[in-house]
Amino acid sequence: MLLTFGCSKRKHSSDATIRIRWAHDPETLDPLSLHNQAALDAYNLLNISLLQADASTQTLAPALAEALPSVQFLNDSITAIGYRIRSVAAWDSGQPVLASDVDFTLKLMLCPGLPNEVAQSQYHFIRALQVAANDPRRFSFLCRGRSIEYAHTTGDFFILPEAELDPHGSLRHFDLADFQYRRAEIATDSGIQTVVRHYLAAITSQATRQLPGCGAYQLVKWEKDRYITFHRKSHWWADQVRPTPFVLQARPQQLTYAIIPDAATATLALQRGEIDLYPRVPAHEFSRLRASSTAAKTLRFYTSDSHDVATAGFNTRHPILADAQTRRALSQCFDAAGLLRATQLGQGQPTVGLISPNDHLNYNDSIAPLPFVPKSAAALLRQAGWRPSRMGEVMGWTRTPVRGPRQELRLALRYRAGDELFATVALQFQAAAASIDVPVQLLPTESGAFSQALQTGDFDVYLRTLGGNPFMFNFIPILHTAGIGAGNASGYSTPASDQLIEAIAAADSKIRRAQLLRRFQAMMQDQSPMAPLFFLPNRVAASRNLTGIHVNSLKPGYSVMTLAWDSAPQVP
Amino acid sequence: MVRSALWHLFRTGLAVWVLASVVFLLSYRSLNATTELVLPDTTDLATTTTAVARRAAQQAIRQRLGLDLPLFYIGRNDGNGWHWNGQHNQYHRWAGRLLHGDLGTSFRTGQAVSSQLGTALAYTLPLTGTAAVLAVLGALGLAQRLATRPWWHRAGRGILLGLHALPLFVVALALLLLLANPEMLAWFPTYGLDDAADEQLDATTQFVRYIWHLVLPVAALTLSALPDFTLQLEAALTQELRAGYAITARAKGLSEQGIIRNHVLRNALLPTLTQVAQLLPALVAGAVVVEVVFALPGMGRLLAEAAANRDFPILVGGVLLTGLARLLALLLADLLYLWADPRIRWQS
Repeated sequence: MLLTFGCSKRKHSSDATIRIRWAHDPETLDPLSLHNQAALDAYNLLNISLLQADASTQTLAPALAEALPSVQFLNDSITAIGYRIRSVAAWDSGQPVLASDVDFTLKLMLCPGLPNEVAQSQYHFIRALQVAANDPRRFSFLCRGRSIEYAHTTGDFFILPEAELDPHGSLRHFDLADFQYRRAEIATDSGIQTVVRHYLAAITSQATRQLPGCGAYQLVKWEKDRYITFHRKSHWWADQVRPTPFVLQARPQQLTYAIIPDAATATLALQRGEIDLYPRVPAHEFSRLRASSTAAKTLRFYTSDSHDVATAGFNTRHPILADAQTRRALSQCFDAAGLLRATQLGQGQPTVGLISPNDHLNYNDSIAPLPFVPKSAAALLRQAGWRPSRMGEVMGWTRTPVRGPRQELRLALRYRAGDELFATVALQFQAAAASIDVPVQLLPTESGAFSQALQTGDFDVYLRTLGGNPFMFNFIPILHTAGIGAGNASGYSTPASDQLIEAIAAADSKIRRAQLLRRFQAMMQDQSPMAPLFFLPNRVAASRNLTGIHVNSLKPGYSVMTLAWDSAPQVP
Repeated sequence: MVRSALWHLFRTGLAVWVLASVVFLLSYRSLNATTELVLPDTTDLATTTTAVARRAAQQAIRQRLGLDLPLFYIGRNDGNGWHWNGQHNQYHRWAGRLLHGDLGTSFRTGQAVSSQLGTALAYTLPLTGTAAVLAVLGALGLAQRLATRPWWHRAGRGILLGLHALPLFVVALALLLLLANPEMLAWFPTYGLDDAADEQLDATTQFVRYIWHLVLPVAALTLSALPDFTLQLEAALTQELRAGYAITARAKGLSEQGIIRNHVLRNALLPTLTQVAQLLPALVAGAVVVEVVFALPGMGRLLAEAAANRDFPILVGGVLLTGLARLLALLLADLLYLWADPRIRWQS
């Protein structure tokens, strides 16, 4: 009987349900604390933000907002970002989405007792919200400092309904400034405590595990570590918007995300039609699938570039890596082109910096990626004062600075254990370095311990992926003095680079920002605190019946809202 | 016998408490990774967080989770010796809650640890329990046959030894690639326990589908546990079959099967009883490899992910549960020994 079940071809459970593979469970659908990409993707179905990324144009487009925001520099220290919420936008209760909901959400982000530290650290620059007197849907964020990027950042968070989470308007009794500067005092307010209890009960309740939203879908069922299912609302406010913009489309009637941690299992599930879409397919699985004649009959394969860049970073706080010449020499021991062939099926793009080569406005195409020339690296090491000499029983490089003890060039390289890409990069670097007598110790490190090691500077060289996007170029967390102890693992900072990074963040036009970004890329290649190796490709495999995938470089790499099931697909 | 069992229970309870306390104190000693993992990834260029904002956020997380309290009743000043923290410490609060049956809430999801462990156990126990029962029954049958030295004895032992040498993930992946692969035999599903859409089906069909999904994971676990039990029991049976009482039974004309079943098996079972008892903690802790390969929810994945995310309340709760199972297993083994061998009963 069991084999009868097995041998009978499993049919698509319903033409209306589209099944997508996730590697991880979202863990929580708390909009103030979304831990991973799955959580973000899931919450994007339940709620929408003022602006959404348009996969068809790779730009930001108004979603809950009526139009892209206006940016006004009020003075040197305040930028006003103005929005108007669409007139038709409404919560499930039928109540309109208003500026007061935005104000309420900002207060929730700062409300004591809630798990909102992530939101607090992300949106700390919003000083106040000004609601237009004559229009309850029009408002402006008043942001500290000057930056055109506030236009993106302020439109990026999810708005929550005040009427449902705070029906008595308890938070209205306080200003945003009270939540910013008098947190300890207001924490004891009974009204605030009631809102906090209500909020926590909603997100942790086994029954709901979600908050009300204004997105196109509602959560039907969530079985942790198994699957999560969303159903399209029969009456969604955005259905009235004509013509329907790309970011407000919601074609699938039902979406089920199957949580399958193992890549090989997910590949088999796709081949058997147990899932319909497999995003971010690892290179070896993608290659195996493409080579299979049976898979070619039922599946389609898509690739695009991504904004994730594989990088190597140097610990500039260590005396042996404190000078740019040594770092530049070691950067030439990474064979980016060879690594792309070995690990990414030749897909992906070598790069000069952290900006994608596809970003023609901002990418500095006047400089070339650092070449893979270990011999030239040896010459650069000599210029940096290193001399070949005996280090214990082996040959290596030493130098004796004017002040300080004799230095030996040996490196400890850390990367996340279990990461196949970086294991290969590490081995390639070790071999290339060994060819010029630089000993490299590989330290694959458990994920949490790796983050800790980067924070404490317990490494010489690290390997990791930086996730980018085409909208924001804020390098303060990763390469500025203010980022040391946070994202600036290399510890690199100079007055000139700090000044340039600040100027990029404060640029008041895209053209000016592009000029600064090009200078920045040249400076970073010269200084080499990190060696950007290549931009990773995005690989998607899907059933031939699935249309409207719009594979693109923005996460999650495809457009879920435009997916559709075609029961009579084109046969290859 | 009762006094002995009570004494065992008391010792077990004390040992579990000490184990849980040690795990709590060791894990909560270093919480930087916990707060670090809650915050947005610094590798994302969309983050706007500076080091100052990040430190403030970490402090806020510690406060919210109560991790800003001293860890234990006594603490060390920076180089100035020890001092008394009083009852206002993390251990006192945790122990107080534990005595009331409250294991705390997850750092990551805010949900009750007991609820998450309960849900995971509900998935794990049918999987590991079925595999354990099948492995024990299979071993009992196979070892008895092997002990009679049939013609396939050498080949059977060779296969068992080969299987014993294979890591669990190889067995699981081999089953998957062989029996759930459209390019080989697509007899069984690749992942999960049932389909999200299966809820519309009637109870019988749902149950059959559930069993159908469990076949490969249970087979993987059974195949990896079977050789250990079988080879051990077969060795014990072979040794006992050389004993004087077995020769006497053989001289009386009893068949080899009869000698094993009626005389030898009970004596040969003693080491196997310990092995079976040792299975109990594994039943509770889950089988992370099989759970990952077949995308099953369960204790193994829950605890592995809690360890990776430094979700210590879940981890300590899991260790407590597994430790309890291990110590109960030891107690069970002791009691089974008393039952199986009268000489031990008389000595105690």
